[in-house]
Amino acid sequence: MSSPEVLALREQYGTADQQREISTIGMWIFLATEVMFFGGLFAGFAIYRMYYTQGFMEGSAEMEIVLGSVNTAVLITSSLTMALSVYKTSIGKQFHTYLLLLATAVLGLVFLGIKFTEYYLHYQHHKVPGIWFESTSPHSGAIELFFVYYFCMTGLHALHMIIGISVVVVFAIRTALGRFNALYHTPILILGLYWHFVDIVWVFLFGIFYISGLHR
Amino acid sequence: MPEVTVSPRIYYLTYAALLCLTLGTVLIGYLDLGWFSMFVAVAIAAIKATLIAAFFMHALYEKVMIRLLIAGALLWFMILVTLTMSDYITRSWLPLPGK
Amino acid sequence: MIAHLAAPETADYLTEERGIRSWLLTTDHKRIGLLYTFSVTFFFAVGALFAALMRLELLTPASDLVDPETYNKLFSMHGIMMVWFFLIPSIPNTLGNFLIPMMIGAKDVAFPKLNLASWYVFMIGGCVALYSMMRGGVDTGWTFYTPFSTIYSTTYVVGAAAGVFISGFSSIMTGLNFIATIHGLRAPGMTWFRLPLFIWSHYATSVILVLATPILAITLLMIAVERIFQVGIFSPELGGDPVLFQHMFWFYSHPAVYIMVLPGMAVISELVAAFSRRAVFGYVFVAFASIAIAVIGFLVWGHHMFVAGQSVYSAMAFSVLSYLVAVPSAIKVFNWSATLYKGSVSWDTPMLYAIGFIGLFTVGGMTGLFLAALGIDVHVTDTYFVIAHFHYIMVGGTVMAFLGGVHYWWPKISGKLYPEGLARLSALIVFLGFNLTFFPQFVLGYLGMPRRYAAYPPEWQALNVLSTAGASILGIGYLLPLCYLIWSWRCGPPAPPNPWRATGLEWQTPSPPPKHNFEVTPVVRRKAYDYEGMKEELRLV
Repeated sequence: MSSPEVLALREQYGTADQQREISTIGMWIFLATEVMFFGGLFAGFAIYRMYYTQGFMEGSAEMEIVLGSVNTAVLITSSLTMALSVYKTSIGKQFHTYLLLLATAVLGLVFLGIKFTEYYLHYQHHKVPGIWFESTSPHSGAIELFFVYYFCMTGLHALHMIIGISVVVVFAIRTALGRFNALYHTPILILGLYWHFVDIVWVFLFGIFYISGLHR
Repeated sequence: MPEVTVSPRIYYLTYAALLCLTLGTVLIGYLDLGWFSMFVAVAIAAIKATLIAAFFMHALYEKVMIRLLIAGALLWFMILVTLTMSDYITRSWLPLPGK
Repeated sequence: MIAHLAAPETADYLTEERGIRSWLLTTDHKRIGLLYTFSVTFFFAVGALFAALMRLELLTPASDLVDPETYNKLFSMHGIMMVWFFLIPSIPNTLGNFLIPMMIGAKDVAFPKLNLASWYVFMIGGCVALYSMMRGGVDTGWTFYTPFSTIYSTTYVVGAAAGVFISGFSSIMTGLNFIATIHGLRAPGMTWFRLPLFIWSHYATSVILVLATPILAITLLMIAVERIFQVGIFSPELGGDPVLFQHMFWFYSHPAVYIMVLPGMAVISELVAAFSRRAVFGYVFVAFASIAIAVIGFLVWGHHMFVAGQSVYSAMAFSVLSYLVAVPSAIKVFNWSATLYKGSVSWDTPMLYAIGFIGLFTVGGMTGLFLAALGIDVHVTDTYFVIAHFHYIMVGGTVMAFLGGVHYWWPKISGKLYPEGLARLSALIVFLGFNLTFFPQFVLGYLGMPRRYAAYPPEWQALNVLSTAGASILGIGYLLPLCYLIWSWRCGPPAPPNPWRATGLEWQTPSPPPKHNFEVTPVVRRKAYDYEGMKEELRLV
């Protein structure tokens, strides 16, 4: 395993700063692709919501607002711990970084736990398209379409969370093993960017799925 | 440029703002705004996203190019949504069956 | 040509490390470019095989060689292989990978390991697609239209879609790598407006790769979900809209055609400059035209859906925008032509391909304007007119540019010279074979012959026979370079560093280049294509 000093300056780069800058640009470009990736689903949802407003609002009423709100708070907190871990590693406090990364991973797992609980509740209420879906509403077609988008979008988000949590754990271990220092911690920096982006996606998912059915 | 370091104080302030906005989203949901509630929910989500990007992701402190990149991605997403939507919105404009 | 004193016995990128591991685990952009070259050549052969079977079937009016169901699979698999496994990766991942770092004066791309990963991802996608083809193939057309693809087709839709989905990630990785490389690793003095136009076009291509491909990915994912769980996202049963699928599919697939043609234009800019020994006329206009094509190309996708059921007002808007997108392409063609004026033109093989490109791309582009007109499109849509239009651009354009580029940079890549006489003959055969294959298809389409049909009325047989005859000549034209290029790699005469006496940083290195491209990072002081200023230097090369 190479030391931080070696990893900080690979041969095609002129300075460590340049390498860090380009790595950052690389991650931002990747996040732009993710905007388009999730964007396709957001666009489809927007169009169907316009066509089937009533049915989609009925679908939204099936959401568990308490669990959703708690999840949002959990994920925002994990963003805080992630941002703080980037700060700590940049000033050389690797032990704090390690703790904060672990906290981020734990909060991420809490989020997933609540999310899968919600999925199970939807299953119990027979609202899982393709597996068990029943509805007595005159808008049952639109409600099923709502849930298709719900499961696809939150499922894709959950997949991104799983990948993110795994990398957070790996980086926590690498921090504990001394692979990062104040000079070289670019991986944690760009992991942070990814994590915050996944949080941003959830913030929008929460807005479009949970809110419009609250007034009943 | 050397690495951007943002003070933890900014992070805590952002965190507080995000939690308040989340609470706000939920409360507004209980008001009877009809279909408008979706716009409000998305608008508040956009404010939260901007805070996360600006402070947690350092977008406010980075080179202009990063902000251009973000703007570009958002613009491209808007192209997808608006041009596709324009088909669906204008379908009923002609008084012809199926058009 | 001055007898070139061989460089001292330092190793080049081909000989520095040996053994299969050094190739399969390489992070050298030049070797990765070669890995891709093998892959895309193989997939081209697979796609060409399907095309050959189709053209054989179309020799007779009846569907007698293959039944219609099989014919459906043939054109679908031909399209999938050619679009995603040949055209999209061809120039960017072979020539682009090899040349971009060299042209900007860098030692490698920004993320070399990501580059290698992109090749493995591409190969996995290709294997998945091939597997689904061997298990019986897919018959939905390369366009996967719903609800046929999601509900009624009985073929391996999910398998084929999965192969394409996976290879899409390879595209995204490549685009990301190129953008970061071009932004961050330019040598000192290599300002944006000193870059070769090859770089500008590939930058524009990379922007499209990065912004459009994710939409393809999510759309394919949605049809897989719809097919596996039998839920109606794009199907009317649940209130879904098939036209929404088409919107999402073409939002990617129209920019995709610019992914396929912009790299071809990148090569042509280099060839026209080198073989006229002049800077490309209107450098800044050509550079910005690349960007304009990429941007406007995202705004025209609805022209594939004029008869699909979208609103008339939407169709009108897309029609106007489609006319607009032709303008930057035309600017490029005018500027390349102007470059030839008062230039010192030589007719080496790469130039033959370049001139061929300019002519055939113009025909293809202008027929695109026919299609952009709503009234004409209603008549010729889904006919052979459309097929001829896009083959003029993809084959008459991109494939010719690919061959021209391969010949031009062959001495640099292999360190050997190819046989010029045979190469010129092959270029001529390609040009003649191509036109004989595809020009009759314009006529057929205008007369009304639909695309994707295995059988047709007997009065159209003559034109179809001409087309098939042309295809066999074209096939010979493609086989010849494959043979003599491989032969030259083993037995050809060694190449000097700058056999064409061209400008450009890549020609400042030995042929083949050392692993790290440049022993010392060059400092750039000249503008691009400075043939005037470098007259003495190049004369002595």
